[in-house]
Amino acid sequence: MTTRRVLILAPVLLILVLLQSYFWVPTYEQQTRGNPERLDKYIIGSIGDASILNPILSADSASSNIEDMVFEGLIDRDEQLRFRGRLATSWDVYEEAFFYVNESFSIPGLGKASPQEVADYIKEAKKKGDETWPGLRDSLDSITEISVIPPRNFSVIRHEKDPNNGKKKKDIKISVAAAAGIKLVLNRVDQGLFQNLSLLLGNDYFESFQGEDYLRTEPRLGKEKLAAYADELLPAFEHNPTLMFHLRPGVKFHDGHLFDAYDVKFTYESIMNPKNLSPRIADYEPVKTVKVIDPLTIKIVYKRLYSPAIGTWGMGILPEHLLNEQALKKEALRLGKDSDTFSMRQSTFSRKPVGCGPFRFREWKSDQYIALDRFDDYWEGPPNYKGYIFRVIADLLTQEMEFYAGTIDSYSVQPHQVKRLEKDPRFQSFSGIAFGYTYIGYNIRRKPFDDPRIRRALGMAIDIDKILNYVLYGQGKRITGPFVKQTDYYNHNIEPIPYDPKGALALLEAAGWKRNKAGWLEKDGERLKFTLITNSGNDLRKAILAIAQDAWKQIGIDVRTDLLEWSVFIQERVNKADFDALILGWQMGIDPDLYQIWHSSQTNPYQLNFVGFKNHEADDLIIKIRQEYDHDQQAEYCHRLHEIIAEEQPYTFLYVGKWTAVLDKRIVIKKVDDAGNVRYEKIKPTKTGSYSFHFNRWIKLPEAPILLDEG
Amino acid sequence: MINMGEKGINQDFQFDEPLAPKRTRMQEFWVLLRQNRLAILGLIIFILFFCCALTGLFLTSGPDPLIDPALIRLQEKLRPPLAKPNLDSLRAEEVPYMGVYLMGTDDLGRDVFARMLQGAWVSLTVGFVAVGISVLIGIFMGGIAGYFGQHHIRVDHILLTCLLISGAGLVATKLFYSGAVLLFFGLGYIFYSFFTKKIPGKKAVTSWKGFLHKNAVSIDTLIMRIVDIMLCFPSFFLILTVVAILPASIYNIMIVIGLTSWMGATRFVRAEFLSLREQDFVAAVKALGVSNYRIIFRHMMPNALAPVLVSATIGIATAILTEAGLSFLGFGVPPPHATWGNILSDGKRFIFDAPWLTFIPGIAILIVVLSFNLFGEGLRDVLNPKLRERH
Amino acid sequence: MISFIGRSAIQKIITLFFVSIVSFLIIHLAPGEPGQVDPMNPKFTPEVVERFKKEFHLDKPLHVQYLYFYQNLLTGKTVSWKDNQPVLKKIWERFLNSLPLFIVGTILTWTLSFPVGIRSAIFRGRLYDRSATFLSYLLISIPGFFFAYILIILVVTHFHVPVIGMETFGIGDASVLHIFMDRIWHLILPSVLGATGGIAVLSRYVRSQMLEVEGQDYVRTARAKGLPTEQVYYKHALRNALLPFVTMFGLILPGLIGGSVIIESIFSWPGMGRMAYEAILARDYPVILTVNFASAVLVLAGTFISDLLYLVVDPRIRL
Repeated sequence: MTTRRVLILAPVLLILVLLQSYFWVPTYEQQTRGNPERLDKYIIGSIGDASILNPILSADSASSNIEDMVFEGLIDRDEQLRFRGRLATSWDVYEEAFFYVNESFSIPGLGKASPQEVADYIKEAKKKGDETWPGLRDSLDSITEISVIPPRNFSVIRHEKDPNNGKKKKDIKISVAAAAGIKLVLNRVDQGLFQNLSLLLGNDYFESFQGEDYLRTEPRLGKEKLAAYADELLPAFEHNPTLMFHLRPGVKFHDGHLFDAYDVKFTYESIMNPKNLSPRIADYEPVKTVKVIDPLTIKIVYKRLYSPAIGTWGMGILPEHLLNEQALKKEALRLGKDSDTFSMRQSTFSRKPVGCGPFRFREWKSDQYIALDRFDDYWEGPPNYKGYIFRVIADLLTQEMEFYAGTIDSYSVQPHQVKRLEKDPRFQSFSGIAFGYTYIGYNIRRKPFDDPRIRRALGMAIDIDKILNYVLYGQGKRITGPFVKQTDYYNHNIEPIPYDPKGALALLEAAGWKRNKAGWLEKDGERLKFTLITNSGNDLRKAILAIAQDAWKQIGIDVRTDLLEWSVFIQERVNKADFDALILGWQMGIDPDLYQIWHSSQTNPYQLNFVGFKNHEADDLIIKIRQEYDHDQQAEYCHRLHEIIAEEQPYTFLYVGKWTAVLDKRIVIKKVDDAGNVRYEKIKPTKTGSYSFHFNRWIKLPEAPILLDEG
Repeated sequence: MINMGEKGINQDFQFDEPLAPKRTRMQEFWVLLRQNRLAILGLIIFILFFCCALTGLFLTSGPDPLIDPALIRLQEKLRPPLAKPNLDSLRAEEVPYMGVYLMGTDDLGRDVFARMLQGAWVSLTVGFVAVGISVLIGIFMGGIAGYFGQHHIRVDHILLTCLLISGAGLVATKLFYSGAVLLFFGLGYIFYSFFTKKIPGKKAVTSWKGFLHKNAVSIDTLIMRIVDIMLCFPSFFLILTVVAILPASIYNIMIVIGLTSWMGATRFVRAEFLSLREQDFVAAVKALGVSNYRIIFRHMMPNALAPVLVSATIGIATAILTEAGLSFLGFGVPPPHATWGNILSDGKRFIFDAPWLTFIPGIAILIVVLSFNLFGEGLRDVLNPKLRERH
Repeated sequence: MISFIGRSAIQKIITLFFVSIVSFLIIHLAPGEPGQVDPMNPKFTPEVVERFKKEFHLDKPLHVQYLYFYQNLLTGKTVSWKDNQPVLKKIWERFLNSLPLFIVGTILTWTLSFPVGIRSAIFRGRLYDRSATFLSYLLISIPGFFFAYILIILVVTHFHVPVIGMETFGIGDASVLHIFMDRIWHLILPSVLGATGGIAVLSRYVRSQMLEVEGQDYVRTARAKGLPTEQVYYKHALRNALLPFVTMFGLILPGLIGGSVIIESIFSWPGMGRMAYEAILARDYPVILTVNFASAVLVLAGTFISDLLYLVVDPRIRL
C-alpha cells in the first residue's frame, strides 16, 4: 500500500534527517579546548540585549557595557577611584568669580566706593595678609587676578503666561542696565569666597544689592516678578567654576579620523540638543559655555558650583564628523527620511558605533550577539584579546550550562552558583564590593513611620546577617548609609543596627505599641499593620520580602506583602508615594552627590526622595557637598550626613552586594615590559566595582600558568 | 471491528437481567466510562488531588496552621527530601510537623511539602475559577446567540451604545462637560423609546426614523463577530500583556485566563442550541407556552452541556499549565501564595543544587494535568452520541 | 463565489478595525512609561520624561494617539520606542528567525500525527491506541519549560553538544554544509518542544475523523466486498477523513507569528515570541501593537483561506 508506506516512511525519514545533524555539530570540546582561535576571544554572556549604542542616548547597562569598550571618555577612575586622564592628558580646575559692585553700600573703613576702588581695596587686603580671619586669608590668597568689568546694557525677551489669561502667552521685554562688576580669577574653587569677602566688604554687601533697580520691563511687572527676573539676570554674585582639559594628541577614531577638542564640544552640544532627548541632559545643564581654545585644549565654564561636574566627563566622546548636521542630513536623504525631524536617535550610528575606545564595532545581531574587534591603533596600545563578544542568552540556567561548557567566559554569576563554582579547580573567582545597595524604605509621611524609633525597631527585628549568609551566600556586606562603601565618603565609624528583636519591642513599646493577647502589636486598640511591596522579577528582593514579613510577624506586626510589575510599581506606587514600605536598591555613582535622593526639595511626586526624608542639617550638607570641590572637605561633610541618615533611619540599609566573577583559570594578565619580556600575573580585583579594570591586558592561555605571586 | 467492552455489556444484558428496566442516563454514562480505563485513572487521580488540596487547605491556612508553608528557616535551606531537621538550630515552633522534611526545603528553608499542599489548593482554584468564568461567559453568549440569534439589533441601538460609550469615555478622560452631554442624550433617547413603545398605533414613520429602526445586524452575527475578534488575539500573548499590566494578584490571573478562553464554550453551546431548537421536544415545549427562560435552562441546557463539560475539564488542565507558564516568566501568582507553578519556577534556579525543587512540582503538575486531560478525553468519548450508538 | 469573497473580506476588515481598537485600549490603559525612560534612574528628571512623552505623542488624547499610531503603521513609519528601529524591519528579522522553527515544527506535527492517528483508529481500544492516547496526553501535560530543561540537561550532559541559540556560536567560518546541518541540529529541540502539543491534538483529531468516516456506508460497502482492511482504511476512509484537514492548512497561518515565548527564551532563540515578550516588559507599545495587529491579520487571513479551501474541496458546499 503506497499511501501507508508514504505515511510511515515520511516521518521516519524526517526524524532521521533531523537526528543525523548531530554528527555535524562541533562538540564543546572542539569548540573550546581544541580550538586555538577561541583563546583570542573573550565572550561574555548577558540576559538582555543592548538597545542603542550611543553613549549620550542609552541608559541601560547592556548598552553601556558595549559603549565602555567602543567609546572613550576624557577621564575615568583609576584603581584607587581617583580621576585619571584618558583622552585628556591633564586638566585644571579653577574658578572665575564675579560680583556686581554695590555702589550704594558703604564699606566699613572705605565708605561708598566705585568699582575701581573696591578692586583696589581687595588687592590691598590681599597684599596685607591680615590673619584676623583665616578663612578670608585663604580666599584672598587663592585670588590670582582682579579686574573691573565696566557697566553694560542688554535686553532680553521672555515668553510668559499672561497672568489674566492662563492660556495665552505674551512677550515681556526686559532691558537691563547692568552695574559695573568685578571679576576674580581663583586658582581653585572656593565655595566660601563671597562669605569670606563679606567679612571684608561688610556683612550685607552682597545681600543688599538690589538687582531690580537695574531692570526695566515692558509691560510693567509686579515687584515679585521683577525680583525673580533680577535674581536670574543680575545675581549679586556668581561662581563660575572652570574646567580646562588638555587633550591627548594623535588619538584616532576607529575610522582613522583624528580626535580633537571639537569632538568634545560636539558631544556636549548633542547632549543639550533637545531633538536628541538625551537622558544625560541633567548632568550637563550647569554648563555655561564650552569653548575650544585650540584643537587640543577645551575650556568648560559652569554657571554655578557643581562638583559632580568633573565626573561627567567620563562620558564617551562622539565623532563629530560622522554625526554633525551635514552627516545626518546626508543619512536622512539616503534613508528617505524627513531630514528636519531626523535626529541622532534615528541614525544608524547607534547600531554601528564608532568611537576611540580599545575595541571597534564589528557586528550586531539583535538578541544574539554583538561582536567587537580590537582596535590596533588604540592610543594605549591594542588589547591582548582579538575579539570581544557580547552574547545574549536570555535564560540564567542555560547561561550557566554554556559557561560550564566553556563557550562563554563570564556571566553574572548568582550567589548560589558561586559557592559551587568556587570549588571547581578549573575556575578562579574573586569578588569585591559593588556600588549598589538594597534597602527597605519607609514612607515617612505616613504613620507610624514618622517616628524614627519605629523605623529603627523595624530594622532591629530583621536578622540581616542571616540574609547575608543564607540568601546571598556571603556575597554581600552590611552597609549603614548611602555612600559607596569603598570610598572615603563612607563613614566607617557608624555601627550597623544590631539584630535585637527584644530591643525592637522595647523601642516599639516606648512609642506606645504593646503586644496584645493574640501577640499582635497594638496601640489605642489598633493593630500595627502595613504592606511591604517590591517589584517582581528580582529573586533576592522577593526572598527579602518573605524574610522581612516573617521577621516582623515574629514580633507581632501584621505585614502584608505585594509583588508588582516594575512599571506598575514605579508609576502607581513609588512615583505617587503610595506605599507603606518598600524594598528597593540604589545603584550609586562614586560621586557623593545625594541631592536627588535625599534633599527635602525632592519629595514631590515623581521625584526620587519618595520616602519623604526631610532634615534641615542634611539639606545644608547635601548642598555643600555638591558645591565643594575639595575632596577632604567633601568627605568631612559626607561623614556628618552619613551620621544624620543613620540616626534617622529613613531606610533600613540592608546590604551592599558584592560583584563576583568566576573566570577560567587560564585567563591572566599579560604584561610586556620594555625589554620585551612577557610576564603573566593573576587577575586581582580593584576598587572600581568591577574586575575588568585591566581588561585590555587580559589573555587566555592554552594551559593554566603557574603564577609566582599566587596566594 | 472487535471491541472488548462491547461484548461485556451485551453479556450483562442478555444473560443476567434480560428484562431489566432501561438504564438511567447516569448509569449508562457510568458503564461507558468504566470501560475507558485511562479516564477512570484520570478520575481517580483527580479525586485524590482534590482531597489533597482540601486537606492542604485545612492544614496550611488559618492563623496558626499545622504546617506553615510561609515559615522561613534560613539555616535549613535546600535540605533534600526526607531530611531530618537539625533540631539544635531550630526553635520549637520551627520544627516541621512530622519531624521530617518530607519533600525537602526550598531556598529560604520553607517546607516544600507544606508549600505543595498549599499550592495544590491554589492551583486548583486557579483552574476551576478561570474555567468557571469562561464557561459561564461561554454559556451565556452561546445561549443567546443560539436561541435569540435571529433577533436583530437596530441601527438606533448601535448608535445609542456608541453614544453611551463615548460619553462614558469622555467622562473617564476628564472631559466632564461634553461627556455628560452625550450621556444625557443617550439616556434621553432610552426614555424616549420607552415612551413611544407604550403608545401603540401612532406609527409616524418618517424616513430617518425608518433608518434608525432598520435592522442592522442579527444578534447571532454580532456575538460571533465578538468571538472572532477575541480569537484574533494570540491568547498567551494577550494574557501575558494583561497580566504584565495589571497588578499581580491571584484573582487577576484567574479572571484574565477566564476572560480569554470563553470562545470555545460559546461556539459549542451555540451549535448545540441551534440544533436543539429545531428538535421536536423544544417545539413541543414552546407550543405549551413555556417561558423562554424555562426552555433554555430546563430543557435545552442539560442537552447542550456535554461538549462544554469536556472542554471545561481540559480547560482546567490548560489553565494550570498557563499559570505555570506565567510563573516561569515571573508574572504568576505572587507570594505569599504558593502555586505549583511558582514553586517550580523558583526552584529551577537551583536545578543543579536542589533538583527536587524542580522535579517535585514539575511531576506533580504533569500528573494532575494529565489526569484532567485523560478524564476529559474519556468524557468526550462517553458523551459523544455518535460513538455511543454503536454500543 | 465572488460575492462570498467580497462579503467576508468586508467582514474581516471590520473585525480588524475592532481588534485594533481593543488592543490599543488594553495597552494604553496601562500605567508605565515607554521603554527608553527609566524613572528610577536619577538621570531621568521629570522634565526629560515629559519631553519623551511629548516626542511619542503620549501627551495627546487617546483617539489622537490611535490615529497617529495606525497612520504610522499603515505607512510603515512606526519606530520602536526602545531603540528607534523601524518596527516592521525588526519584526521581519525576527520573523525570518522564527520561520524555520515554525516550518520544522509544522512538518513534524503533520507528518507524525497522521500515521499515529490512523493507526489509533484502526486499533481502536487496543493497547496501541491506548498507549498513543496516553503518550500524546503526557506530552501536552508536561509544563513546557520543565520539559525543555530536562531535555537540555540530558543532551548537554550526555552528548556534549550545544543546543542553545540558532547555531553553534562562532561556527561562522565552517563550510556551508556544516553550518546548515548545525542549524538543523539547533532546530530539533525547540521545534520538537513546540510541536508536541500539536502532534497530540492533531493525532487525536485524525483518529476521531477516521472513526467518524468508518461508520459511513461506503466504507462498510468497501469492506463488504472483501477489500483488504488496509486498503479500506488507507484508500477509502482516509480520503474522506482528510477533508477537514485541508481547511486546517489555513488555520496554521497564525502560528507563523505566535512563536512560543517560553521556548524561545530558554533556547535563546531570537524569534518573534521573545521580541514580543521583551516589548511587553519594556512597554514598547509600537512593537506590541504591531505584533498584535499582524497576528490578527494572519488569523483572519487564515480563516479566510480555510473557508475558500473548503469551498474548493468539498463539492457539497456551493454558494
